[in-house]
Amino acid sequence: MGETGGISIINLTKNYGDVVALNNVSLTVEGGEVVGLIGPNGAGKSTLMKIIVGILKPTSGTVSVEGFDVVGEPERARRVIGYLPENPSLYTALTVREFLRFVGKIRDVNDDVLESRISESLRNFTLADKADSLVGSLSKGMKQKVALIAATLHDPAVLILDEPQTALDPKMQAFVTGWIASQGRSGKTVLLSTHNLEVVQDYATRIAIIDRGSVIASGGLENLRRLADTRSDSRLVDVFLKLTEGS
Amino acid sequence: MSWNDSWRDIATLFRYWIKGRLSRATLAWILLGEGFSVVLVAFIGSSFVSFSNSFSLGGGFSSLALDLIFAFILIGLLQSGFAGSGLPVVSADVDYVFTSPVKPRDIFTAKVLLNSLTTVLFSFPPMLVLYLMLSRASGAPPSAAALAGLTTLAFLVMGLVLSADITVSLGSSIGPRLKPLRNALVVLVAVLSILPVTLLIPGAPVGIISLTQVLPSGLTASVCLALVGREPWSLGLAVDVALLVAWFAGLLLLGVRMSRGHFYEVVQVMDAAAEGSTGGGSAKTVLETSGRSVWSVVRMKEGILMKRTKERRGLLVSALFLSGFMIIYSLAGTFQSSPTSFLFILFIIGSFGSGTANGWMEKERLWIVKTSVLDLRKYVSAVFRARIGPLLLILAPVTVAVGVPLVFERMSQGSSVLGVALALPVALEIAAIMMGGGMYFAARYGQSSTDEILTSQAQQMTDVKRFLYQTVVNLLLVSPLMGLVLLAEFPVYPLSLVPPVLLGVLLLGATLVYSYWVLTRLLNTAGDSIAKREDL
Repeated sequence: MGETGGISIINLTKNYGDVVALNNVSLTVEGGEVVGLIGPNGAGKSTLMKIIVGILKPTSGTVSVEGFDVVGEPERARRVIGYLPENPSLYTALTVREFLRFVGKIRDVNDDVLESRISESLRNFTLADKADSLVGSLSKGMKQKVALIAATLHDPAVLILDEPQTALDPKMQAFVTGWIASQGRSGKTVLLSTHNLEVVQDYATRIAIIDRGSVIASGGLENLRRLADTRSDSRLVDVFLKLTEGS
Repeated sequence: MSWNDSWRDIATLFRYWIKGRLSRATLAWILLGEGFSVVLVAFIGSSFVSFSNSFSLGGGFSSLALDLIFAFILIGLLQSGFAGSGLPVVSADVDYVFTSPVKPRDIFTAKVLLNSLTTVLFSFPPMLVLYLMLSRASGAPPSAAALAGLTTLAFLVMGLVLSADITVSLGSSIGPRLKPLRNALVVLVAVLSILPVTLLIPGAPVGIISLTQVLPSGLTASVCLALVGREPWSLGLAVDVALLVAWFAGLLLLGVRMSRGHFYEVVQVMDAAAEGSTGGGSAKTVLETSGRSVWSVVRMKEGILMKRTKERRGLLVSALFLSGFMIIYSLAGTFQSSPTSFLFILFIIGSFGSGTANGWMEKERLWIVKTSVLDLRKYVSAVFRARIGPLLLILAPVTVAVGVPLVFERMSQGSSVLGVALALPVALEIAAIMMGGGMYFAARYGQSSTDEILTSQAQQMTDVKRFLYQTVVNLLLVSPLMGLVLLAEFPVYPLSLVPPVLLGVLLLGATLVYSYWVLTRLLNTAGDSIAKREDL
């Protein structure tokens, strides 16, 4: 385990050829914090998350998770991260149980622990009767539940959630909201990217706004209201619109 | 992390990837592939491609036996080096495997192993049968045939490793100054890989022969022939085996070493979702609609899609490879040895059309078309016109390159050129019909990327059935054209009395009328099929 908990991003830049996706981004998520990462489409949220989980390589700057540098010690960093991609792609030809076993195995979960966690999670997510169904045959909401289980099977200290409520029906959105809240209560460090600003307002301890590849504001809602020069009871959506005016 | 952990991770990846991959549909595809590879081998073998004149390996076999062994190697090279090229991954790998603590080195190894499995399933059974037959003829034990089979498999796997190495090298963090050097090296490797094919040309330079004998393909052939031919062990054979092992180990270690870096960003994601990722956001060609008819816009849209999704470039590269092989075969005199073999070759050129049609439906967004006021028959026809243009532009030079030497050869021999001359335009007509047939079957059974009804497995099974129907029906549709070409080659009474030029014009006219009729029917039926579909 690294010396410091949470996520530390320092002067991170990511270029795709001539396109600057992230420009000198610095952001810290303390251990046990739930930080909401919000921004317009194409602002760089997913790129930032993909760098944290090790899919993309930074052009410059450093990112460490629980004290582990994601470039220098990628395997150790990934061991402590749970990741929910935006529109997760699951192995559709595996059954739900097979898929979860696979994810657990490659995340180094002990066999006995893995089986009990899978069974317990399937019960909690009301998927027990779908355990032996092919993932490809599940509805979108059920697939999202499977992806949520997969993200936490190895009991990670840090959760990276990339738009977990996209294209879900209201019932599933409520379910996912409850799940995010429970992860925050259980002491996990959560970086949540979402367009659902109500969830961020209700459950995030801090908020970071990213626009055109740069973090333009971060802090609690009160702080953001001050930065945006809005009323003290203004909603996050109004603050967000004010701060990202012109983008 | 220890080697034990690595092997455990590799085994886990391998096991679950197989579970996720070997569905009923995949097995059906493998069986189909097996059948086609046997047919292809039989064709190449029976065309008496004589390597033995220029590349003497000894062993006491007939030249046919040598031809067959080389045919296997060529097919293996094509299958492993080009067809199974790169390091294909699916989006689920990116989301779950690339974000796991498993080392990139182990992911690389597991991927190569997985790709090798398919190659083994495809290639091993027919190869083993061949080697068993050869070993029986020479009195060698069956174990020698098995060893020869394994040696050839090692060669096929080498092709996979090599292509994976090339993919990984594209992602290595070298500076811009070194990139041209790296690209030149990749081209050199590709040239060396296909060099043995040039041995088909009679009188190939001695230097090429010597070079080929130290390349993996030449070494594999030497070792396999020695094994099934009961050749006694010698220093030369031991050196060949050692060199082959060195090639294998070298290529594998190179890939493993390079994959220790960060290669995720360069791997090719096979999912349809990744299809639209064509790089930067700007476009050089713009879809201009003002002043254009709706059908002109449809054609232009199709052309732009083909260009931006790199379909056109893929077509060109494939056509270049095809023409290269065809010209070499032509120069080798293969088509002279059998009076109708050129027909087969032209059919291969023609069948090119079928493959290009498959991409159509995946790129299509049928709900947009079906909710518009467009006549669907006319829509399919416009798409066909947009797609057939580039195909014919690419295939026409291939046909000329293959056909013209044949025509001159016939003329110098004083024999009739009518059959060959008619075969050239007919090859293009076959390509057009194949494309029309492919578009019809795609319209009827294919899955547009916005379809949600069929699961991927059900679609795979549908694809297998569609492929079978499509092959049979397309063959039936083009058989009258091939019959007319045969008629030109062997005119029967009373056609034999007609002057050749007039006969040629008549037959060409007949093929054009037939092709037009078939295409119109096919495209109209494709439009009707889309109109009837309810799964959108």
